[in-house]
Amino acid sequence: MQSKTVNNVRVGRFELLMDAGFGAQKAGDILIRAFARMGKYVFIEPTIPAEISPPPRTRPALSGVIIRVAEFDLENIGNNTDVILASHEVVLDRRLDDEEHNPNCRVLLDMGDKDLPTAEYDRVVKRVKDSGLQFFPFEIIPEAQAVIKSLAGKARNMYYIGMLACIYNAPEGFVINEIKLTFGAKLREDVFKKNIDLFHYGYQFAKDNVPFGYEIKNASGKNGHEKILIDGNSALSMGIIESGIKLVSGYPITPASSILHTLAKVFPSFGGTVHQAEDEISAIGTAIGSYYGGVPALTCTSGPGLSLKQEFIGYATAAEIPIIIIDVQRSGPSTGMPTKTEQSDLLPVIYGSHGDSAKIVFAVHDIIDCFYAPILARYLAEKLRLPVFIMSDFQMANSYKVLDKPRICEMEDSDKIPDFVLEHFGLGRLPETIEMVRTEQAAPGTPEKMRRVTGLNTDETGKVNYFSKASQRSHAVRNEKVHCVQRALKKPELFGGREEGDVLIVGWGSAKGAVEEAVSYCQNAGLAVGGMCLRFVNPLPPMLKEIFSRFKKVVTVELAYGDPYKHPPLAMILRAETLADVQPIICRVTGRPMTPRTIETKVKELFHAGVA
Amino acid sequence: MPELHEKTQTGAPLTVKDLNTENPRWCVGCGDFGILMGFKRFLVEEQLLPHETVNVSGIGCSGRVPFYVNTYGVHAIHGRPITIAMGLALTRPDLKLFVHAGDGDALSIGGNHLLHGIHKNFNCVFILYDNQLYALTKSQSSPTTRKGHPTNTQPKGTELEPIAPIRFALGIGASFVAATADWLPDHMVNTLKAAYAHKGFSFVHVLQRCPHFDPENFDNKSSAWFSFLTHEKGIPADKRLAGKTEAIRHDPSDHEAAFKFANSNHTCFGLFYSNPDKPCYDDMMRQRIASAKPLPRAGILDSYKI
Repeated sequence: MQSKTVNNVRVGRFELLMDAGFGAQKAGDILIRAFARMGKYVFIEPTIPAEISPPPRTRPALSGVIIRVAEFDLENIGNNTDVILASHEVVLDRRLDDEEHNPNCRVLLDMGDKDLPTAEYDRVVKRVKDSGLQFFPFEIIPEAQAVIKSLAGKARNMYYIGMLACIYNAPEGFVINEIKLTFGAKLREDVFKKNIDLFHYGYQFAKDNVPFGYEIKNASGKNGHEKILIDGNSALSMGIIESGIKLVSGYPITPASSILHTLAKVFPSFGGTVHQAEDEISAIGTAIGSYYGGVPALTCTSGPGLSLKQEFIGYATAAEIPIIIIDVQRSGPSTGMPTKTEQSDLLPVIYGSHGDSAKIVFAVHDIIDCFYAPILARYLAEKLRLPVFIMSDFQMANSYKVLDKPRICEMEDSDKIPDFVLEHFGLGRLPETIEMVRTEQAAPGTPEKMRRVTGLNTDETGKVNYFSKASQRSHAVRNEKVHCVQRALKKPELFGGREEGDVLIVGWGSAKGAVEEAVSYCQNAGLAVGGMCLRFVNPLPPMLKEIFSRFKKVVTVELAYGDPYKHPPLAMILRAETLADVQPIICRVTGRPMTPRTIETKVKELFHAGVA
Repeated sequence: MPELHEKTQTGAPLTVKDLNTENPRWCVGCGDFGILMGFKRFLVEEQLLPHETVNVSGIGCSGRVPFYVNTYGVHAIHGRPITIAMGLALTRPDLKLFVHAGDGDALSIGGNHLLHGIHKNFNCVFILYDNQLYALTKSQSSPTTRKGHPTNTQPKGTELEPIAPIRFALGIGASFVAATADWLPDHMVNTLKAAYAHKGFSFVHVLQRCPHFDPENFDNKSSAWFSFLTHEKGIPADKRLAGKTEAIRHDPSDHEAAFKFANSNHTCFGLFYSNPDKPCYDDMMRQRIASAKPLPRAGILDSYKI
């Protein structure tokens, strides 16, 4: 065996690319669990096709995992990939199109079945070599091939896990333990043993033949906190239980469905019901019905479902029935790209539903926010009797990471929301009493308080009223509810503590990790660059205009479309709110998350062009 | 309101007067007046507590019913009252639920919800106010408008054969299907009582006159064009017409015979079908909670620990 170069790094990123249905996701899951248990920080982003089983060896079949491992806490999937392991040239070729690899990325390509025509293979190999990547073709050893054959072609992912575990120096025992936890109870003993054999073959193969490796310190135990490994949608689901919500009503839609799946398994044990409605409209109607009855309820959806729910959202505003909506954004318009991430729902959420439809919209920054968001949403919805949106997205929903186990508060009465949750989201406590359009708001079952709610305009007694003063008053009262949230909003965090300078980068929601890291790159390079990422987008924090005035240039980064003739949504609302000349530097809709490095590059271009 | 306060305090019986709110904004002669009166009489006869009763409606002339009954109420959006009622049925089984929807609301824009409300068989009384056209929007064809009847959207006469609501409900597997008419007060009260006594989605089809847009539709002066389905397990013929109108003996547990009457061109009022054993979705969901092992919320993140 040639000598091995071991790279000691603080952070690394690798990818496993396979055909859908061959276990790339499962493999990634096992690996990161092992890494996490060893004490590394991990962040994983699955690449999922929109179809269940696209034909193998085709570009749409790409199913994979991108894994970032570090000795420090990770808030995003990072920049570029150091190592790619691909099960064949078609998925590799497809993924190289995304241009997310390092210039010196190491590409391990399974040469696979020699009987296939080689022209396409040769072309991809040439592409890899021409682009200067380090190329390591390999073949699964014959003993392992025989085992894979005996398993009808499955389980080659175990071989790849073995190779990657070796490359990232994970002790075999840690990984085997995770394989056991994943498959132990589900597989026949002989099949399970074959899986373990394949893992060993892969591990040994890499040990003998792969001339490089990485060493990343195990440091997550240092702060003494208990750790969990959780994805965004699971964190939201657990947060829903935590918040005391009792009914989740939804309709199958990617990427929100996994909230229903996760809760369906456990919710009844906490007194909750998952209701699968006949359509998106019915799903929100049923949640509204429950909340009218005084029982906290929520609906979760994405893209097309958001469009369908709009009429009921305006109804909840007018009828003053609390309702919580989770929008896990995906690529649009229309059916768009169901398994790709985007932030294009900002405007349809804020301004959606006909007429002037007041509501509260806040976004999650990271997975810990996902856990606390339903608690905050319930407080706001019940206090204001308005629709409250929790904005997540595909990337947030499906990314896993290691984090400190959050505090649990088991909220019953939303008025008693713990201070630390409000502080976490940068919100002060709302006034004790908030004026409603209708004075009486009792729930059914309360004697002597019978009332009828309606989407028609009413006066304060609840009587239908079409007269001019009554309509003007209703609008003012509803909007004042939003304004009182605005007044309670605290100044958003300015990353790196920079309060003034040349450039301020502004993102919202899941952009937080990338913006914060990009700001640190820029500040380390000596640039006067600040950054912030908004959670509340409706209302916006009131001090933005003043903060913006302290920077020469304010730019947005957002996963929504914009061009020189069209401001993307975040830039649009910030311009309207502050009258500052906010311009986007990232407004792309590639379906891929934004990376700190791309933000940094765009900021540096501003400096080079002399505009900052 | 103070009147009612005293009554509930002293336990005095509920009267129609207690249920009145404002004067309905309907046209003179509208069939909805008859249905509203029948509904209030039914509430009084059953002595349902107003604060435990919820009327949910859609949009249209019938959508205003909740405003005119002093109970809790939800005037929802067009076509969707069943979805709201579903939420209340799931989380507030203590409430008495009534859904009021017109033919356009229930069978056109809200057709999907009606299909699934019937299928889920959640516990409520569903009242279909069928005046066979859109009235509040000023005379357009609805799914039940008779073929040839001119409306503002189909002035040369409605093109399609109408949907038969009773057949639809039976076809979906409704557990309770009955029909009555706005001008048969006694029959209506008895129909609502039977519907309320039934556990599940009780489908009540009510023919409703619309003198403003279609005065010739239902001849309420004659009773020759319809019959009553009667049975000791069913609903008696209207008192006023007993003996004057044909009464057909029909066992409401006979699904096949129910279909025969539903398929006939002859109009029948009464109980077409009733199956008290069909399980209710809302009960199943509550049963799922009751049979699940309770877990403490403090442990919700335990399975995610590393």
